[in-house]
Amino acid sequence: MKEILEDALKNSKKADYVEIRLEKKESTGIRFQGKKLEKIDCSQQIGGNVRALVKGGWGFITFNQYDDLNEKVQQAINIAALVGKTKSNLAEVPTVIEEVKKDLDKDFRKVSLREKKQLIEHYNKIILNYSPKIQSTNVVYGDSFSTVYYANSEGSYIRQEIPKLVVSFTAIAREKDNVQIANESLGTVEGFKKAEDISSKAELAASRAVNLLKAKPVEGGEYTVVLDQTLGGVFIHEAFGHLSEADFIYEDNRMRNIMKLGKNFGYKKLNVIDDGSIPNLFGSAKYDDEGVKTKKNYLIRNGLLDGRLHSRETAKKMNEKATGNARALNYQFKPIVRMTNTYIDNGDTPFEDLISGIKKGIYAKKVFGGNTTFEMFTFSAGEGFMIRDGKIAEPVKDVVLSGNLFSTLLNIEAIGNDLKMIESAGGCGKGGQAPLPVSFGSPHIRIKQVVVGGQ
Amino acid sequence: MDKLMQKIKEKVDSAELFRLKNKTIPVNFEAGNLKSIDVSDYEGHALRVIKNKRIGFSTESGGKDPDLFIEKAIATSEFGMKANFEFPLEIIRKNKNPLKIYDSKIKEKNISEMITSGKEMIKRIKDFNKDLHCDVTILKHDNEIEYLNSWGANYIYKKSFLSYSMMVQKIDKEDILIMYSSIDSGKDNLESKILTDDLLKKLKWGESIVEVRGKIMPVIFTPNAALVLLLPIISGLNGKNVLKKISPLSGKKGQKIWDDLFSLYSDGTINFAPGSAPFDDEGIEMQKLPLIEGGEIKNFYYDLQTAGMAGKNSTGNGIRHGIQNAPTPGISNLVLKEGNMSFSDMIKDIKEGIIVDQVLGLGQGNIISGAFSNNVQLGFKIENGKIKGRIKNVMIAGNAIEELNNVAALGDKAKWVEGIYKLPHIYLKSLPVSTKKNE
Repeated sequence: MKEILEDALKNSKKADYVEIRLEKKESTGIRFQGKKLEKIDCSQQIGGNVRALVKGGWGFITFNQYDDLNEKVQQAINIAALVGKTKSNLAEVPTVIEEVKKDLDKDFRKVSLREKKQLIEHYNKIILNYSPKIQSTNVVYGDSFSTVYYANSEGSYIRQEIPKLVVSFTAIAREKDNVQIANESLGTVEGFKKAEDISSKAELAASRAVNLLKAKPVEGGEYTVVLDQTLGGVFIHEAFGHLSEADFIYEDNRMRNIMKLGKNFGYKKLNVIDDGSIPNLFGSAKYDDEGVKTKKNYLIRNGLLDGRLHSRETAKKMNEKATGNARALNYQFKPIVRMTNTYIDNGDTPFEDLISGIKKGIYAKKVFGGNTTFEMFTFSAGEGFMIRDGKIAEPVKDVVLSGNLFSTLLNIEAIGNDLKMIESAGGCGKGGQAPLPVSFGSPHIRIKQVVVGGQ
Repeated sequence: MDKLMQKIKEKVDSAELFRLKNKTIPVNFEAGNLKSIDVSDYEGHALRVIKNKRIGFSTESGGKDPDLFIEKAIATSEFGMKANFEFPLEIIRKNKNPLKIYDSKIKEKNISEMITSGKEMIKRIKDFNKDLHCDVTILKHDNEIEYLNSWGANYIYKKSFLSYSMMVQKIDKEDILIMYSSIDSGKDNLESKILTDDLLKKLKWGESIVEVRGKIMPVIFTPNAALVLLLPIISGLNGKNVLKKISPLSGKKGQKIWDDLFSLYSDGTINFAPGSAPFDDEGIEMQKLPLIEGGEIKNFYYDLQTAGMAGKNSTGNGIRHGIQNAPTPGISNLVLKEGNMSFSDMIKDIKEGIIVDQVLGLGQGNIISGAFSNNVQLGFKIENGKIKGRIKNVMIAGNAIEELNNVAALGDKAKWVEGIYKLPHIYLKSLPVSTKKNE
């Protein structure tokens, strides 16, 4: 493959930069809904793309057939030339020639369909048998194994294997017209072994859905909230992570002013990190989709803005270094600036101290989803409890937290000492590319003055 | 496809092959400047088989090994769902009106023309305020769908569409205002001025920021935001959720639940609408299906398999959400029938209330129960019948199934949003609104 790619890139002199990315992927999906197996399928995908940069303009073409790769390179260069009018900017990175193999503890490509189906059926039964109040389930298994070939006109060639394994549990409980849902999931880049012992997640989803039947809708208003590790992670991903993606900033002077390095983001024990190089997390890979090595990047250090996430282009335009955060969902998409594994680092407040002293607040756990427009963010908790006089009290439901990013970060009052990275099937969406595997994490954190929607 | 089908036929009871071929060309502007042009070609196949009365499914793209593709579909059928349907023996369109969904002018539209459209849009916004950040995508799409089953029934059609979308961002210290607008059509007839006028109008309304105190108040959902109320209903009417009894609307067919003015249709027969097609993705004619009429639940929507399980007929709503997914019940185009009150009369009617235009967290949370709770990402305050300014840090919450009982009026002018939804303004008499300061 190396020779084929090198040959196709030979005639790329007219462009400032050209890259080719080819992908071969095989995947399996299984889903149980209620008592029934709802779907079982297999897929083989082969495709690729060429991205060319000419005078600051990009041309990007994608395809499934690449017998004529040389021609495709010319086509991408020709389109880029229609766009480019100024100057190309790409941060310098080392040229890499490497093959990244991934050894799996029980390679799911070698596990029979029967075995996969039996495992998922087993988990499905755990949820169904948990309580007569369980009305239905949605248990999904998905595995995929991609081999991605990347080569660019600077001489890099990387062959990277990227496995992905997801098991997700949805339990649906019902009492008359009251329907409640709870989710748990596993998302990993490891082998089938990892999926074999997660009965506890299935039980957790079932028990939470049933417990939610008893919960009262939360009363809307402003509260002090304590977030668990999952929701703390989602919060930092939504509320801050997206704003640190430099493609939102680099072309906009006003945004640059808001996001000046050194800016005070509040609580001095707040440290926020994005790290795609942590082994085996869902957002991890050795190289990003521009062939840049992933690494640990501080975004906030001791409460001050310390860095941001870059592609080669945004880095150069902002006079900073590439961070290894240019990621593409698959060969049909171009790499854009994305998070990998994002987390709030440990503080020093034990959980009991976070809760005590709150007269009336909310302990929000787990997650349904989250969303942001930089300044405003919102996310919904999968489970909630009132905090009354420093103690966890009755359960509440439909807890949706929302706020302004800048003031909310300033309102963090305490950070726990129990950091956990969440190995859920977290998928992030941006620019039509979803779900991109990411993970997130946090210790328990306490934030004052958060608006909670409610009836 | 014929040759491949011959090969498959011998190994299974029956089978269907579905082929999608499309070409998408977006021209992208970033921060007011032309940034990239993409040309995306895709061709993929999906194979669904029935063997020993069980369903198998596999998909492929770019492959050169049809045997593997067939073998995988057969392998999955060993464990697959029991088939409660048969592939259609014949595929015919009974509707006498020809359906128009392809405009060759879109295919012929050249890239420089698309670039010009984008530049014009940016200029109109920059003329209003040169400091606004504008991202624009002008996209053309050309696709071909081909279907063939082992009974010899087949169809093929082409579909085109053109889409203009724009994001405008206004930054003032730490106030970041973001607005989106888009228009789509299957025909080369888009007027970008409609889109920019819409954005300019909202920019003017939003020049000043005004305070809202949280309480129960009247709320107008613009067509953009009306999905907040309709997504839970769409999910509740899905034949699969009804069959599994997880829909709160299960067992309520024939019941009048909402006000007379509430009528909702799944309509795949509208010319040049993005969700229209002669047939759904498994060969059943698409129709105009009344879901709710005069507040009464008329129909749930079904694909072949779900209909078979429920003892009903497919309603022509077997939709593939991407080639890699087998058909499931889905909406073609969703049309909410217009009412008789103009948007400006709604505003005049309100002493104190809000307009919701864009929300954060659409579709997130426990949708199936009807519950919604959203941050109002773009909204405006009404005082004494006039728009006073933009609101921030406001949340709305409720249960869509209940709130739709509370409709004061529906707008007299529906608008297409998100491609497949044609919706009027929805004016609710009262809805809980929460902010930092609540009464």
